[in-house]
Amino acid sequence: MTTPLTLRPISAQEHRDFITTRSSASFLQTPAWASVKAEWRAESIGWFRDGHVVGVGLVLYRQLPKVRRYLAYLPEGPVIDWTGDDLEAWLAPMVAHLERQGAFAVRMGPPVVTRRWSAAQIKAGVADESVRRLGDVPPLERSQDGARVIAQLHELGWQQQTAEGGFSAGQPQFNFQVPLVDGDGVPRSEDDVLKGMNQLWRRNIKKADKSGVEVSRGERADLKAFHDLYVHTAERDYFTPRPLSYFQTMYDALGAEDPDRIQLWLARHEGDLVAATIAIRVGTHAWYSYGASSTEKREVRGSNAVQWAMIRHAMAAGAHVYDLRGITETLDADDPHVGLIQFKVGTGGEAVEYAGEWDLPVNRVIYKAFQLYLARRG
Amino acid sequence: MSLTLTVDGERWRRHLLATVEKQPGIVPVAKGNGYGLTLGRLARRAQWLADHASDTGAPLDLLAVGTYDEVEQAASRYAGDLLVLTPWRPFGAALDLDPRTSARVVHTVSRVEDLAALRERDPDARFVLEQLTSMLRHGMTRRDLAAAAEALGPARSGLRGVAMHLPLNTTSHLGEVSRLINDVVASGLSTRTVFVSHLTGAELAGLATSYPDFTVRPRVGTDLWLGDRGALAVTATVLDVHEVERGDTFGYRGRSAPKHGHIVVVSGGTAHGIGLEAPTGDQSLKARAATLARGGLDAVGFVRSPFSIDGKQRLFAEPPHMQASMLFVPSGARVPRIGEDIDVRVRFTATDFDRVVVG
Repeated sequence: MTTPLTLRPISAQEHRDFITTRSSASFLQTPAWASVKAEWRAESIGWFRDGHVVGVGLVLYRQLPKVRRYLAYLPEGPVIDWTGDDLEAWLAPMVAHLERQGAFAVRMGPPVVTRRWSAAQIKAGVADESVRRLGDVPPLERSQDGARVIAQLHELGWQQQTAEGGFSAGQPQFNFQVPLVDGDGVPRSEDDVLKGMNQLWRRNIKKADKSGVEVSRGERADLKAFHDLYVHTAERDYFTPRPLSYFQTMYDALGAEDPDRIQLWLARHEGDLVAATIAIRVGTHAWYSYGASSTEKREVRGSNAVQWAMIRHAMAAGAHVYDLRGITETLDADDPHVGLIQFKVGTGGEAVEYAGEWDLPVNRVIYKAFQLYLARRG
Repeated sequence: MSLTLTVDGERWRRHLLATVEKQPGIVPVAKGNGYGLTLGRLARRAQWLADHASDTGAPLDLLAVGTYDEVEQAASRYAGDLLVLTPWRPFGAALDLDPRTSARVVHTVSRVEDLAALRERDPDARFVLEQLTSMLRHGMTRRDLAAAAEALGPARSGLRGVAMHLPLNTTSHLGEVSRLINDVVASGLSTRTVFVSHLTGAELAGLATSYPDFTVRPRVGTDLWLGDRGALAVTATVLDVHEVERGDTFGYRGRSAPKHGHIVVVSGGTAHGIGLEAPTGDQSLKARAATLARGGLDAVGFVRSPFSIDGKQRLFAEPPHMQASMLFVPSGARVPRIGEDIDVRVRFTATDFDRVVVG
C-alpha cells in the first residue's frame, strides 16, 4: 500500500530540479514558460509522496473578465505518472488546490499518446480519395496507456475539448515526430534518418548543400533578423505574427534554464537570410517550434537545410524524438492544410495523436458562461 | 381453422439476401419464438444464407441464439458456429450441452469469475466478453475487462471478441460505443472484434470509419427476419357467426349484447399470445393516450381487438379464450362468412402461429 499523494505549491527551482530528473517534459510545463505567458498568473505545483516530489505542474491562471475566477490551465501537462489506473489519486488533490485558488474550471493536456501512424500510411491516405482524416487510416498502434487515461478521464467527469478540422485554440492533438532512437532505444545513425526521408527531402537537402546554403546557430541579437523574416512569412501565408518582444522574452526565459533549451537557427545563401527557425529541447525531446522562410531563392532549399541541421543537432544532444509539432487531422488532398502535413511527412517518422485537451468544470454555472463567452468571441 | 402467418417467400428471401449483403459480418439472431417464424425455420434459413455466400459476398459463419436451451434446435439445422447471447453461468443449461455441439458454441461471458470457471471446465472454450453498457443488464466494467485480459494473458485464447448490448435509443449510440471501444483498448485485450446490436446503417458506417482497425459485427434479428413487413401477412379464420339482439347474453361470462349485431368467433386466442399485449415500449404521448382510450373502452364493456374486418379493427366481445376469440360486429357492417380469413395485427415476438406458410 502506497501512502497517499499530497500537493502544494513549489518553487521554480524545485520545479526545474524535478524536470531534470525526468527523461523529458513538455517545454510548456517548464517554470520558464510562465515568464513567456506573462499575461497569465502562473504557479508551480508539486505532488509529494513520503516527502519526495513525484510530479510537477505549471498552472497558468487566466482570469475571467470582471470576476475573480480563473481558468486553471496546464498546457501539455501536468508532469505526472500517467501510466497507472489510479489517476484520481493524482488529480483529486490538484483539483482541490486549484479550486481553492479560485479556479472555476481546470484544463489540461495529458502528454499521453493514443495512436500512431507511419509516414507511408499517411502518404497512402492522402493519395486515397476515400480517406479524409487521419483517423480513417488504421493506426499502426493504439496505445493501451492512452486509452486507459481517456477512460479514466471520462469516469472522473472530465470533458474532452474537440477541435474539428483545423487547429484547436489550445495545443494540437495531432503531431508529427521523427524518432531518433529505434524501438530498443538505440540511437539511429544520421544515414538511417536520412534514408527514412522521402526522395524530395533528400534531394533538397543535397541541393541546399550544393548551392552553398550555410546553416548556423544564432544569438539573441539575431532574433531581429529571424523576426523580420517571420513577419514576411506571416504576410505571405496569412497568419498573425507575434511581436519581437515575445521571442526575446521566450529566448531569455528558456535560455536561463539551460543554454541549449532554446536555439535560433539561420540559413543563409550568399549572405541572404533564406530561412530561420527556433528549436527547443527539454531532455530527450527536441521541438521545431517556429519557422520562417524567404519568398526569394526558394530553389536553394533553405528550409530543408535548416531542418536537417536541427535534426542533427538534436541527435548530437542525445534526443530521442524530433518533434515537428502540430498537424491537422485532414488527409483530404484538397484541404489547404494538407501541404503542411506533406512537408512534415517527408521527414519520415510518424504522426502521433495525443489525448487532447480536457476540462473539468468546478463551478458549472461559470463554466457554462465561459463557454458561451468563448463561442461568442469566435 | 388457424392463426396463420403467410410469408411471401420470394420477397422475404430477397430481403434476407439484400440485408446480409448490406451488412457484411452480420450475425443473424434466432431466439425465443423465432420472431414468430419459429427457431428451427430461422436456423435453416441461416444455413441457406450461408450457402448463398457466393451470391451475397457475405460469408455467414455465426448464428446467435438466445439461450443454451435453444442451442440444439439451431444446431441440427445450421452447420456453423452458434453464439449464445445469454451469459454463461456455472449452473443450469449451459452445463448440459451435448458434447458434440459444444465445440460449435461461442459463449458469452459477463463476469470475470465465470471466465475462469468456463475455461476450467473447457480449456478450448470459445467466447466473447460482454461489456457493461448503459443498459446495466449483464456485462463487465472496464476494470473487469482489464482483469479478464490479465487472466487471459498474451497467449492465444478462445477470445473471439467483445459484445455490447445497447439500449434501443432514439439518439445516437456512437458516443457510448466509442467509449466502450476505448475501454477495450484500455483493457489490453488482444481482440479487435466487436459485436453490437441496434445500430443504424449510418452508425455502423461511422464506426467503420473511426475504427478502421476494428471489425464491427452487427447482431441482427428483427431487421433481418421482419425487416420487410410487406412480405408477411397474419390471418385468422372465422369459425362461427351468431346474430344477437340488444340484451342477449353470450360467452363464458354471460355478458349481454349492447345493441343489435353479430358475435363473430375467430381462431387465435391467449395460447397464441392474442390479447396478451406485450408493452410496445412506445412511451410517446400518443401511445399513452391510446392506452388510456383502450382502458376507456374496457370500462364501457368492449376492448379493441387486433382483428380487423374489411380494414376496420373490431372489438372483443369478451376477453379472448385459449384458442379462439369472440368479436362484436355491430349491425350495418358486413358480416364475414364462416371460413373466411381476416387480418390480424400482432407483435411477432409475442405470437405463436398455428401455421407458418412460406410461399
